Amino acid sequence: MMNTRREVLMFAGGSAVGVLFTPAPWRLITDTALWSENWPGIPAPARGEIRARYTNCSLCAAGCAVRARCVGDQPVQLTGVTSHPLSHGALCPFGLAGHHLPYLPSRVKQGSAKEAAAAVAEAIAKCGPAEHVVTLDLRPARTASWTYRRAMAAVRNGRYVATSGDADIAVDLSQARTVLSFGVPVLDGWGTPGNVNAARSGFRLIQIEAVESRTASMADQWLRIRPGSEDALAQALAGQTTLSAAADATGLTVPEIAGLMTLLEQNGPVLVLGSSRLASGGRTVIARREAPVPAEWQKAAPVTALASLPDRSVRVLLIDESAPDGYVPWNIIEKKLVADSAVVVALAWSREGYARHANFVLPVGVYPEVADDIPPALDSVAATFRLASPLVAAPVGIVKPEQFVATAAGLSIADTLRERADAIHKSARGTLLTYADAKSQALKEVTADAFWKALNAGGCWIDAADEKAPVAKLTVATAEAAPNEQSDLPLAVVLSRELAPGSPILSKVYQESNLRLAPNRVALHPSCGIEDGSPADFATLLGKCRVAVTLDAAVPPGVVQVSTSPAVLDLCAAGARAKVVRV
Amino acid sequence: MTIDVDRCNGCGACMVACGIENNVPPAHEGATDRKGLTWIRVYKVDNGEEYPNRRTAFVPVMCQHCGNETPCVHVCPQQAVDIDPATGVVGEMPQRCLGCRYCMAACPYHARYFNWWDPAWPAGMEKTLNPGVTPRMRGVVEKCNLCHGRWHAAKEAAAAAGKPDTEPVDYLPACAEACPTGAIHFGDLNDPESAPAQAATKPESFRLLEKLGTEPKIYYRSKKDWVRTIAAAPRPGAGKENGRG
Repeated sequence: MMNTRREVLMFAGGSAVGVLFTPAPWRLITDTALWSENWPGIPAPARGEIRARYTNCSLCAAGCAVRARCVGDQPVQLTGVTSHPLSHGALCPFGLAGHHLPYLPSRVKQGSAKEAAAAVAEAIAKCGPAEHVVTLDLRPARTASWTYRRAMAAVRNGRYVATSGDADIAVDLSQARTVLSFGVPVLDGWGTPGNVNAARSGFRLIQIEAVESRTASMADQWLRIRPGSEDALAQALAGQTTLSAAADATGLTVPEIAGLMTLLEQNGPVLVLGSSRLASGGRTVIARREAPVPAEWQKAAPVTALASLPDRSVRVLLIDESAPDGYVPWNIIEKKLVADSAVVVALAWSREGYARHANFVLPVGVYPEVADDIPPALDSVAATFRLASPLVAAPVGIVKPEQFVATAAGLSIADTLRERADAIHKSARGTLLTYADAKSQALKEVTADAFWKALNAGGCWIDAADEKAPVAKLTVATAEAAPNEQSDLPLAVVLSRELAPGSPILSKVYQESNLRLAPNRVALHPSCGIEDGSPADFATLLGKCRVAVTLDAAVPPGVVQVSTSPAVLDLCAAGARAKVVRV
Repeated sequence: MTIDVDRCNGCGACMVACGIENNVPPAHEGATDRKGLTWIRVYKVDNGEEYPNRRTAFVPVMCQHCGNETPCVHVCPQQAVDIDPATGVVGEMPQRCLGCRYCMAACPYHARYFNWWDPAWPAGMEKTLNPGVTPRMRGVVEKCNLCHGRWHAAKEAAAAAGKPDTEPVDYLPACAEACPTGAIHFGDLNDPESAPAQAATKPESFRLLEKLGTEPKIYYRSKKDWVRTIAAAPRPGAGKENGRG
């Protein structure tokens, strides 16, 4: 029998239609879905005993208490500790993802400590009488900071430079009825977020800022001023200039400024943040004694301001970037280095900071790999001592910054954290709070060993109350003067204090939602003529970098808002001029 | 669940906590705000005015767990979406999902997300995955399930303690636990004594796109009239509505 072409086609077509009425194709779809569920490309979560461990977050000076849910020894989730009197169980997005930091793709993994040590020793040996050996500490008032100060005291012409001072001054938010903030992100990461939230209902917040930041949008009153005119307004409020002069400079009206003055007079005590021209009232700013240190540490170098060092005078610069709180733009540092053969060693875990400029980059441990103490937060009225105790093992080959600097200076150190804990215990004052059982007990009831063990297992020492003298003003870090205005740089720069993009999971708030300004983005008013998401060059007097543009009506025309990543800070300070050119 | 919009400062802690809890992978290099995976997303909304009348608010939006004519359930050809009758939680079964994305088109809240890429974490970071939740594969849709893994763990703990299965269990979704400002509250809306149930009855309480009649189980709260107005009918040109719509 011969089948015709028509019959073959009819059979094939009929079969194709018929098979749809059988379970086969539908079963195949289901099976494919089930099979693809187990593709080897999909990682399988680790299995093991689930338990909780406690530590303190050392990613910023707030030092929030942390409960880590662990599978075996591996932390898989971090949450706050609600019993902590200051952090109240709050963690910021950066802190929630802190356990990802050891696996950052941009992490510094290798560096020759021996070569760096030899170069430092050689440079110290040929350091001239007018030249300096400097340790730059990005988070002062730690135990490691004392080591740096002792080391610099042991070196001829040694200087200890800290990025911020005022470790002995605290802000008492509970005493303030009004908070006058000059651009300080009070509700967006300033101080200890949990403490600020707890105290929020007790004060009226007035935000003076050029752009509508998170704090501005949630403040009781937001006054939009021209970028860089904060000091003019402060002068008017302090009675040092006329209201009309301030109105001209800030863009506010005279009645607005007069109304603000009346409000401040009637709603004291007023806490002033972000301006050293105005005094805070009542006991909102107070003196705070430091946690005790061993007596033999007192022979230490004083804190030196970077600005006070003569230009071209730093022969050796050792930068501890293991706990980066305040980044000093590189152009400011570079001016201080000697012109010939300065040795710069960056002790860093990320390639994104000073590692881009240093002669030697040495890998250091990152939270939560290494033990470090966290100085008391600005809004902690009592001195504290808490450890970021390690939750995971540090990789082989990391350098301990404290040890490196001490060795370079010929200083012999032991376990400084334990020595400090013993000194605190010896003082027998204050209380010990342990997170696991939320128990607070007087320090004098605890043995030295138990105190040390409790600190390492997740605890906090809180100093006893003392007579706290009120301090009139908070010192404000003075920003480098903005470069002169130029006609071809039409935009005023406003820095946005964004979270450091640590964990890749933070892409949820940057890349996948644009909730926050990513480091490679600038925000402009929609009237700027550039399309949202377009690539552009961000240029200042100091250079340019490639960015993407985000349109945001919260940014006024004539202003560009940039995030405070090291790469951007190297190009500009707040109030600088810039231009954004679409490419 | 109730969300106090007036307390939300848009920090993004809920988004990060959700990603960690539910093993949502970090963004692929090519991901954008339209192709990202954010089971909960905080939107920045404004009243459309210019300074000094301009006002901004942050609105966290996740699956609203619609209780009536749930759109995604109706359109799913694979029965990959179901509603747990005990809790009212709208669940998603990635094993059944075809990736047709009908549910994404049907969802009026844009709260469903498609896996455009294989889930990938930087080397070593797989160790930090939550063992209670399975990562999903490329080609399926996923969304908020109010931390179903935590609910199961709480049920198991209650059973181990000898409590009857009908008794409500205490657990918190990751977003509610992580919110540093206390804007997100979670509880049993059927229990009139619970804080969320009481908050839901307050006059400043509202739900998103209430006129659609989908009976969402996420209640928002704001004392600002313009926020409630936007929730009823998004202003044309307000970002995401146009971006994904």
